[in-house]
Amino acid sequence: MKINQKMLGAAAVLAVTLSATSNTLADGHAVGIADIVGDQASTDDIVSYGLGPKGQRYSPLASINKENIKNLFPVWSFSFGGEKQRGQESQPLIKDGVMYVTGSYSRMWAVDIATGEELWQYDARLPEGILPCCDVVNRGAAILGDKVFFGTLDAKIVALDAKTGKVVWRKKIADFEAGYSYTAAPLIVPTEAHGPLLLTGNSGGEFGIVGQVDARNPETGELVWTRPVIEGHMGTLNGEESTMTGTKNETWPGDMWKNGGGATWLGGTYDPDTKLAYFGTGNPAPWNSYLRKGDNKWTSSRIAINPENGEIEWGFQTTPHDGWDYDGVNEFVVFDMEKDGKTIKAGATADRNGFFYVLDRTNGDFVSAAPFVKNISWAKGIDENGRPILDPENRPGDPAESADGKKGKSVFAIPSFLGGKNWMPMAYSQDTSLFYIPSNEWGMDIWNEPVTYKKGAAYLGSGFTIKPIFDDYIGSLKAMDPASGEVKWEYKNKAPLWGGVLTTAGGLVFTGTPEGFLKAFDAETGEELWKFQTGTGIVSSPITWEQDGEQWLAIVTGWGGAVPLWGGEVAKVVSYLNQGGSVWTFKIPEQLAAK
Amino acid sequence: MVRLLSTSLVVAGLCLVNVSTGLVSTASARELPADPLNSVMWKNMAERFFPGEHVVIDQRVIVDIPIEVEDQMQLPVTVDATELSDVIEIIALADLNPIPHILTVRPLKAQPFIGFRVKVEQSTPIRVGVLTSDGVWHVNGVNVNAAGGGCTAPANAHSNSQWYKTLGQARAITKRETADSARLAMRLRHPMDTGLAPGIPVFYMNQLQVRSATGEALADVELFEPVSENPTLTLKPLVEDGESELLVYARDTEGNEFEYPLTVPAEVDN
Repeated sequence: MKINQKMLGAAAVLAVTLSATSNTLADGHAVGIADIVGDQASTDDIVSYGLGPKGQRYSPLASINKENIKNLFPVWSFSFGGEKQRGQESQPLIKDGVMYVTGSYSRMWAVDIATGEELWQYDARLPEGILPCCDVVNRGAAILGDKVFFGTLDAKIVALDAKTGKVVWRKKIADFEAGYSYTAAPLIVPTEAHGPLLLTGNSGGEFGIVGQVDARNPETGELVWTRPVIEGHMGTLNGEESTMTGTKNETWPGDMWKNGGGATWLGGTYDPDTKLAYFGTGNPAPWNSYLRKGDNKWTSSRIAINPENGEIEWGFQTTPHDGWDYDGVNEFVVFDMEKDGKTIKAGATADRNGFFYVLDRTNGDFVSAAPFVKNISWAKGIDENGRPILDPENRPGDPAESADGKKGKSVFAIPSFLGGKNWMPMAYSQDTSLFYIPSNEWGMDIWNEPVTYKKGAAYLGSGFTIKPIFDDYIGSLKAMDPASGEVKWEYKNKAPLWGGVLTTAGGLVFTGTPEGFLKAFDAETGEELWKFQTGTGIVSSPITWEQDGEQWLAIVTGWGGAVPLWGGEVAKVVSYLNQGGSVWTFKIPEQLAAK
Repeated sequence: MVRLLSTSLVVAGLCLVNVSTGLVSTASARELPADPLNSVMWKNMAERFFPGEHVVIDQRVIVDIPIEVEDQMQLPVTVDATELSDVIEIIALADLNPIPHILTVRPLKAQPFIGFRVKVEQSTPIRVGVLTSDGVWHVNGVNVNAAGGGCTAPANAHSNSQWYKTLGQARAITKRETADSARLAMRLRHPMDTGLAPGIPVFYMNQLQVRSATGEALADVELFEPVSENPTLTLKPLVEDGESELLVYARDTEGNEFEYPLTVPAEVDN
């Protein structure tokens, strides 16, 4: 008797694309790359994160305006269900009457906007042992053709059939057991060489990972190029090594670049004019800066990547040799700035380190910087080249110089490591030419400790605790004039602000608060014009669009994110906040619309 | 063509509505034979899973199951429809499971035969419909007695936090049963989460295909949530003379893909 018995390994994984591409969704045309590039102008859909790849979060819709906003009422609320309520930081997408919204724990729903009913739900089957540093959030999806894309906490990117929610393909971005994760909305950009590409960053800056931007074919998920952001690492193009990022050891000592951090955890923006993709890079690892003397490029930087080949066209470092976790990954918003009679092709970014920077987006040249939070202590200012003028007293001390070598001198630094501004995206109004920045006024005690790298373990080498700097508020929504660096108005909020901002041609600015209010402000004056209590904290970004002749507004709700996890003394003002993951929609009822 | 035995009851198409053309069908549009399993779900199951005009109760569809279920998470079922010719599709159902559809097999170039294991939530009919090329559904089944809870309990895999590391690993046995037909038994590691256990999203192996050395599909299996953890399947693909290579391809609902090359020996061994 001959029986052929075998132990088989998990013989993964062929790149078989099982579903052919169909070109239309339910009752409209499929999302094309031109729709994404032109998303800001088209008001009947939202097919990109940031209401257009420039990331301005500005809508030309003006049906809802300063006069009639008092009549804005909720239409429906959709629950994310079950016990996974916390940490909803997502911005929904809108296409052909369907809302695509992601939720915490790597979930996604399609909702019929007319009725608020669920069309499908996808729940990623996450492995045990995922290592998200800063809550189980997801910030949104991307859409192209008949697919929607989003990243999962186990550092995978998944393409779903937009009609059914079934998995078309799923690819590994990085090894979650080494601390990698994924939370940002992917970015889709056009290229001549490869057609549209799906760009992702990575998360895990607290675990000694290496920040990287990957470009994939959206049809198949196959990698086209990769670009690590830490100097010394090699990129790839079409499956082969391309170029090294920077020059090995130019700004890093020894082997420290190998686990140098620089997580690209907030995704990117794109400018159809320069044809560059802009990504922020996170803090260097470990936090203890004495272990990595030098500028540590490209951590705490903005980099411009050519999507055709994955090469870095320019970089601008906001916090060279960071020692405070000024994880300067903040979004780079593309806009044109009028200054001294000239139009500058600019980009602006409000950094974790408390300064608002304007750069020339064509070449990364420094234009200006101004503080957008108060009492900044780590630097005395920004010099004419864009480098911080450091205050040596306010860098936490070297533990090697302490008596027992275990804890360096502690300093009180402003802003705190959660930043003058964290992940939450600002908005830029084409009408007022102002940026609306969701910021926080807080500082921290921070000190350094010895640390060595161990795979999958936190790689900090620091201790810290956050403290408010004012008694009555932490959160601060500011209107910043990018040309003058002046703050035109400020709205103060007791709890730290952790949600994104939207501005509209109706002269309005929208943002949510941890106290549960979605609020609308006069874009010119900052006067609060409207608010609605959603029943849980808001830490997400509002959107607006037009459907059946009416302007709609939507916001995801559900308290969570990094503040309750890392908040130190701040916990006092947020510990009572209740969870409740859902999405709310609003419009002005028909009978009130004319008034 | 189908051989009609005297014991089989053919219900002719009295109905005015043809389901397969997508027109509206109503429960009374066709007459169903009485259910020998006496299930409250019979009409519903027939409407959902056996569309068309002809449904017969047919003892030639052999459904082999232990009468007493020892383990409601792993109830072994063997379906043998080899007495029927021109089989297009085999559907297995558990009437009273929260998700009744267990699997569908298309024996393209294979014997109309499938062995599998199923989770049962309570005592239920295990019902099998076999569609032949003349459009007739040949239905048979067995009532099983079971303790509750098979579909809503977490998979055993979840007692091990490293379950994802062995995902898709497999054991397989192949032999040549007749001159032109092999017997392939395999077990694949997969939690087969139904989505009904609290806090665990749905996650199961949903496609499996047996292919010849040239890539031709021999048998297509669509699996659903009730298939037991670590799916254990027996199929009988047709094979060429001499030592033959087969490839089993599988994919789960998360898009994980697996391939297993197998060899069928040249000599018959039954």
